[in-house]
Amino acid sequence: MAGMDMELILQKIKDKQWALADIDWDAPGAETITEEFRPKLKAFMADLCWIENVGARGFAALATKAPNPTIAEIYRYFHAEEQRHANAELALMRRWGMLEEDEIPEPSVNIRMAIEWLDTYGDEMPLSVLGTVIPMLEVALDGALLKFLLEEVHDPVCHQVFERINNDESRHIAVDFEVLDMIGHAKARKLAVDFVGNVASPGLIIGALMYVPLLNRTRNNLVGMGMDPERLYTAMARFEKLGSRGEFTHRVPLYQVIRQHASMVINPKHPYHLLANAMVTISEHYPKALFRPIPTWFKELTYEPVTKGVKKGMNAA
Amino acid sequence: MTITANKPRKRAAKKPPHVHTTVVIGAGFTGLGTAIKLREAGIEDLVILERADRVGGTWRDATYPGAACDIPSLLYSFSFAKNPNWSRTYSPSAEICAHIEELAERFDLTKDIRFGAEVTSMAFDKAEGRWTVETAGGTAYLARTVVVASGPLSESSLPKMRGIEDYQGAKIHSARWDHDFDFAGKDVAVIGTGASAIQIIPELVKTAGSVKVFQRTAGWVLPRVDVETPDVAKAVFAKLPLAQQAARTALYLGHEAAATGLVWDTPVTTLIQKAGLLHLRLAVKDKWLRRQLTPDFRAGCKRMLMSSDYYPALQQDNCKLITWPIATLTEKGLRTSDGLEHHLDAIVFATGYDVQLGGPPYPITGAEGAVLQEEWSGYAQAYKSASVHGYPNLFFSCGPNSGPGHNSLLVYVQGQIAYAVAGVRAVVERDLRWLDVRQDVQDEYNVQIQKRLRSTTWMSGCTSWYLTADGRNSSMYPGFATQYLRQMQDFRIADYEVASHSATRLWNASQAPLTAV
Repeated sequence: MAGMDMELILQKIKDKQWALADIDWDAPGAETITEEFRPKLKAFMADLCWIENVGARGFAALATKAPNPTIAEIYRYFHAEEQRHANAELALMRRWGMLEEDEIPEPSVNIRMAIEWLDTYGDEMPLSVLGTVIPMLEVALDGALLKFLLEEVHDPVCHQVFERINNDESRHIAVDFEVLDMIGHAKARKLAVDFVGNVASPGLIIGALMYVPLLNRTRNNLVGMGMDPERLYTAMARFEKLGSRGEFTHRVPLYQVIRQHASMVINPKHPYHLLANAMVTISEHYPKALFRPIPTWFKELTYEPVTKGVKKGMNAA
Repeated sequence: MTITANKPRKRAAKKPPHVHTTVVIGAGFTGLGTAIKLREAGIEDLVILERADRVGGTWRDATYPGAACDIPSLLYSFSFAKNPNWSRTYSPSAEICAHIEELAERFDLTKDIRFGAEVTSMAFDKAEGRWTVETAGGTAYLARTVVVASGPLSESSLPKMRGIEDYQGAKIHSARWDHDFDFAGKDVAVIGTGASAIQIIPELVKTAGSVKVFQRTAGWVLPRVDVETPDVAKAVFAKLPLAQQAARTALYLGHEAAATGLVWDTPVTTLIQKAGLLHLRLAVKDKWLRRQLTPDFRAGCKRMLMSSDYYPALQQDNCKLITWPIATLTEKGLRTSDGLEHHLDAIVFATGYDVQLGGPPYPITGAEGAVLQEEWSGYAQAYKSASVHGYPNLFFSCGPNSGPGHNSLLVYVQGQIAYAVAGVRAVVERDLRWLDVRQDVQDEYNVQIQKRLRSTTWMSGCTSWYLTADGRNSSMYPGFATQYLRQMQDFRIADYEVASHSATRLWNASQAPLTAV
């Protein structure tokens, strides 16, 4: 895995760009979504699209930390591609009649927390933190959520969209783990300083407090929709497997923490869930007034494949 | 091919074609400045070749809305040909062009300019000690010396973007503005956020229906205090040239001080960045927009942008900054990597000039048959930015490693003119066949230049048009303008190999250094 040619990857990314306009959003198949399934799917898709948007913001933070200009440029594309995924998912929701005119789904309280955290601390986090957390989220998305979705939804347009999203994500994951390996190549002292310095930082502590309920909420929603928890095992095992391919990845302390944490998340009997679910409940009661205004980057999502002129405000791409 | 002043064939044997003392290529600021100074030095037999049908160079061509200089006009002019009437601190391009036209009149240069004469090639004849300069019209000019004054920003082209052939709307390059296109109410994109773009955008926002600004890299923007010159100042400058010189000197010294932060990467660079961030903080309310506009490179590494109306323009209701990469152009507009297609009536390519890092766009064949563009294909190098070994009797302005990052280009050009005039005088006064800079002198100079470049902001890690594809800097001069001027005013014949017309032997006249004016 080591020695991946990043210039080639960047060229490939540029060659594989696609747009919402490539997809026929009015093609038959929307009727395959049953009335009974629609509300559950709507909640799931809303979370999914916001998680993509949050992931996009994560890549924006990563781009400023990239080890070299080529990887910075790759992250710039990944940032845009995550946004594209979120836009495409909104367009699917629109196709399935889940969105009224100009409606954009309301983000859950845990998403709001993630946004606020990213906006406040994201850009300060070192590469070793962002470069570890993001692959974990991507593997979870790619491995568990999307595969599950494709089994439950039989709309061919949905499959067409997710085939493209998956192709993008596989490139994201390949680069993520290559960079994780590069991070592990750093001197042990630097790794330790980065880790200790950040564990103690308010940013990472608040980040963990935000991350735990967000993850559990999504997990609970999925299990509630009938997803076999086994899928999460598989996804997390993949995180470990991809990590173990790298020669130096195991040396990244946060990678070890996330790996341990993941094994707790996927074990439904682990006492961790008592804590995590309690945090979900508490977060539900988090006073909305405490949230700062939603940042403008969060208002850029749109289901419209084509834009003409400039609109500002929500849904203003 | 015809030869200038050519006569009927039977008389040609008696009277050989005329050999000018100097051919100057380009009738912009630099070419006309060179001609003025050559005349002053007593060189009367000169011809200026200009490909267009009027003078002005870059300032004749840069007619996009908002085009203006970003160095105060008092300093963005020649000290030997002042203009007391600049209307503003930073004059618009039309006024600069009018000033250049006025110079041509004031110094009676028009008679020596050959308009519509686009140079297609140049070759040196070592035996005769002369250059043959061929032009597109078929006319060839012979000259003992040549000054290349075609400027660094004379060429421009649409960028090689994916799908650019597919786009059917108006494609407008900032350097070749289409004045027939009416922007009123149109949906427009501006690609690029460099020095031209930040002048165009505030103007377009006033008339266009919408302006989408596609940014790849955010630049450092400092406020530009552009005010009308008070009439009293104009009157004083007209009556007391010394007062104008004093104002110019003050501006010059102010810009020189900025070199400590813009040329070299120092704590002053950090201070300049703090000023840039403060400007951004005060001008832009939205946190995300500020983040998008925050540069990720050291100030000075790319050209500093001077504007007080760019940030406000971006925040107008009909303007939007887009930082997603452009995936491709399409028939109706362009697609960004966030999956959206933007439909556009016009795309303005403010993507900069084709900077001539590899030499002028016409082949220059040297004394031994080598072609300059081939020698410079990796990177360009010269001695004092003006002379190149193997290409005798040829002087460049805006040559390799001559660019300022902190001061007026014209201050540097004035140094180049002084150097070229000293070189031409050496050829004439010593009756030289050729004057060719020594290889060892040129090499040593470049070793020093590259060594000094290491600690500059340009080499601090960004990619810019200052650098070649493999990251070598052969465009900027690492130092103060004062240092550059000192070296350019010191023409040393000992640095050159020479052959005189009267004697064919090679000699090195190290005993008689000649100092430029």
